[in-house]
Amino acid sequence: MKHKQVTCKDVMHHVCESLGEDLNSPQCVAIKAHLDECAGCQNYFKSVEATIDFYRKYNVEPSKDSHDRLMSILGLKDSE
Amino acid sequence: MDEQSLILEAQAGNKKALAELVKKYEKTIYSFAFKICRNPDKAENTMQETFMSMVKSLKQFDGKSKLSTWLYRITANHCLMEYRKKKRDYVSIDDDDALISESSIADWSSIPSLSIENNELRKVLDEAIQKLSPEYRIVFLLRDVEGLSTEETGKITGLSIPAVKSRLHRARAFLRKEISQTFKR
Repeated sequence: MKHKQVTCKDVMHHVCESLGEDLNSPQCVAIKAHLDECAGCQNYFKSVEATIDFYRKYNVEPSKDSHDRLMSILGLKDSE
Repeated sequence: MDEQSLILEAQAGNKKALAELVKKYEKTIYSFAFKICRNPDKAENTMQETFMSMVKSLKQFDGKSKLSTWLYRITANHCLMEYRKKKRDYVSIDDDDALISESSIADWSSIPSLSIENNELRKVLDEAIQKLSPEYRIVFLLRDVEGLSTEETGKITGLSIPAVKSRLHRARAFLRKEISQTFKR
């Protein structure tokens, strides 16, 4: 699955939503000004995004045997 | 046949419709269960328990929430019950300062691009998430990995919206820090 590139606005929405603030509130404007200048914060948000992306892409599927056992337990083997 | 018709048919006793519903959500539920317990046998057991509960209670399903939300809730509750039986201690993540210390904010752009097919990376991700208590793990997985809304995550876990946001923030920061420390070694 391909995920869209995160923009600064997405990050701001996320930060301000977590704080319960809207994008134009004084606190969010101050945070945006800080984020624009702060390499540490930019690295932090990029690495959080990478963390989420790793876990999203780590997918597993049930084996054919697992599927057969499930349908058998549920009494649905003959209904597929 | 659309999902609502399948549910109505299954509620009326149509086994083919029930089998269709199971097949529709089997991969989602197995994958979610695996992501919580990081073990194929436990994931299979949880998937079986979830669908057995679904079959048993389908007649009571009133359609007010999505079927997927209902199944996620059964799966999450089953996993939480299993973990509570074991009473294992997990790492405390209450200290924001420790989670987001200046020294831990390394620049990940210097880290070579890693593919999720890399077994070493999968091991790092498994180990990091297993240190997180299931209450935090489930919120992170529902909200960030499965892509559910904060409201849906709150309904499934029985948490308020501020509590979902707080747990999500701490879980993200904890996992980021754990992975970052592994990369530094």
